[in-house]
Amino acid sequence: MSIEVRNITKRFGAFTAVDDVSLQVGGGELLALLGPSGSGKTTLLRMIAGLEFPDSGSILLNNEDATKHDAARRRVGFVFQHYALFRHMTIFENIAFGLRVRPRQHRLSKSDIRDKVMQLLALVQLEKHEKHFPNQLSGGQRQRIALARALAVEPTLLLLDEPFGALDAKVRKELRRWLRRLHDEIHIASVFVTHDQEEALEVADRVAVLNHGKLEQIGTPQEVYDNPANAFVYNFLGNVNLFHGRVDRGRVRISTMDSESQESTPVVDGSTLGYARPYEINISRESGGAATVHARLLHIYGVGPKVKLELQDIETEAMIEAEIERTQFVELELKQGDEVFVSPSNLRRFVEDYSI
Amino acid sequence: MTQPSIGVGNSVGARPQKNQAKRPGLLARLRGKRPGILPGFGLSLGFTLTYLSLIVLIPLSAVFLKTASLSATQFWAIVSSPRVVASYKLTYSVSLAGAAIDAVFGFLIAWVLARYSFPGKRIADALVDLPFALPTAVAGIALTSLYAPNGWLGQYLEPHGIHVVFTPLGIVVALSFIGLPFVVRSVQPVIEDLGRDVEEAAASLGANSWQTFTRIIFPAVFPALLTGFTLAFARALGEYGSVVFISGNMPMRTEITPLLIVSKLQQFDVPGATAIASVMLVSSFVLLLVINGLQAGLRGKGEDA
Repeated sequence: MSIEVRNITKRFGAFTAVDDVSLQVGGGELLALLGPSGSGKTTLLRMIAGLEFPDSGSILLNNEDATKHDAARRRVGFVFQHYALFRHMTIFENIAFGLRVRPRQHRLSKSDIRDKVMQLLALVQLEKHEKHFPNQLSGGQRQRIALARALAVEPTLLLLDEPFGALDAKVRKELRRWLRRLHDEIHIASVFVTHDQEEALEVADRVAVLNHGKLEQIGTPQEVYDNPANAFVYNFLGNVNLFHGRVDRGRVRISTMDSESQESTPVVDGSTLGYARPYEINISRESGGAATVHARLLHIYGVGPKVKLELQDIETEAMIEAEIERTQFVELELKQGDEVFVSPSNLRRFVEDYSI
Repeated sequence: MTQPSIGVGNSVGARPQKNQAKRPGLLARLRGKRPGILPGFGLSLGFTLTYLSLIVLIPLSAVFLKTASLSATQFWAIVSSPRVVASYKLTYSVSLAGAAIDAVFGFLIAWVLARYSFPGKRIADALVDLPFALPTAVAGIALTSLYAPNGWLGQYLEPHGIHVVFTPLGIVVALSFIGLPFVVRSVQPVIEDLGRDVEEAAASLGANSWQTFTRIIFPAVFPALLTGFTLAFARALGEYGSVVFISGNMPMRTEITPLLIVSKLQQFDVPGATAIASVMLVSSFVLLLVINGLQAGLRGKGEDA
């Protein structure tokens, strides 16, 4: 099973929700659509499901044009953020629903439906709740039932719209790992929407990053994290420090730092931005030459194996976030208010202009 | 308010000691296991019972008291006279028909008001409540003049042999007018509450629109629809003002029970009037009890729990 989305665009009035997006999902792959709210990820998912229709572009399911097919015809399993269980039906009936509404000639016998539902209940580990109603279950359990219900019709494709969005942090983590294991077991092409980069990077085979309806980058979690296509992707995938600077005759000056330009692309003179993750920030008591920023330590967040530091560039007053090992923190004998020297071990620059 | 103030509490106390030691007091048991956040269960229950007694039970018991001045044979003669029995049949059948029509069209109106937006929606929404506010006599006169053989609507119906005014059909028209808001206002909030995602889930599971409606939407709305139907039905049973004008009040044919009661009163036959009233009262109460029980059963299935 494969899905192909070709140049899809969707507008709501003057607002372009999805702007010329193309992507492919191969058989058995788990793809995450990642983006901030309003980035069009849910709209894209709903168009793949047939719950929304694109203004232009096409959707191919198994190389067959399904752009005009409605949801019932696409045989796509959809899991909703707020579960959308049928609350007047028992758990059993919820899961059996998709099997019962089939046309008579394709419908399974009563006992076959029963076997199938019990099999699915075992898969989501909720056999005991067969006779319960949805509001007797916890959020995590409800979402598993919603998943079982979607799987009952043997969809060729599974779509999940922020499936863990309404759950608390711990259940969320458990459930997403469980989903990953389940996916490896049943091996059905799946697309899930999330705004949580940690979730996307942990669970998915590939991640598609969306912003303002545009596809910014698509690749494996490793690829997008290590080689972000642009500043937005880099910024969205984790905490980030921003250094304003200038490019002057091939040399980059950022804050008081001065370094050789490492870019392969020709560097144009002008203002520039450098990015570094908090764990890429080195801290020392002594000035390490030109490529160092003089900063004051404002706050120390010391819970856990890593210590988070909030610093302020004394010259530009820009905030810098750093994350260092506890051992190093103890060695440096850092206290609030100390003046230290900060240098990014890996400063990234993106050619196009982007503001946070 | 302490335990002894409720009669049953004393009888529980009179039982052997070991039984009482295990079980909590009646009040505590009535209250349920959780103490709840808002206090005042005893006070509010006491107030409810007192108020219901004053407003509902005392006037109603007066009906039975008056009736009691009749002997059993006299009572039976009055309540089973052919004219009265005909009026029961008419009253219940037209009320049922009126409420059923309201259930169908009220559902439709509530659906449209809850689901779509269109110009003039707020006016349409306000129009629904108008039968509540309009004096029923006005409604009766208006409907009568509309459906009269020379009226705006009647002149087109009459040539086709459809007689509305002075027939049971006319009464049904009046009662469905009176009862409509009950259905719309009971169903509308439930439809508004019904998530779109539930319909989408049904569609993605392969259900067609008919299956989605009959298996998903209708069962979810049904308890509320039943409430609206019951209210409209109960209202129709007691309706007088609008019906007297359109029915023509022909004995054995278009005479409803409330009218019969009023005419008995006008002849100062108070016991006769209360005898008929008590029959209506008991039968209606039983009917409403049954419907409420049905509804409690439906609700217990999934709404609460």
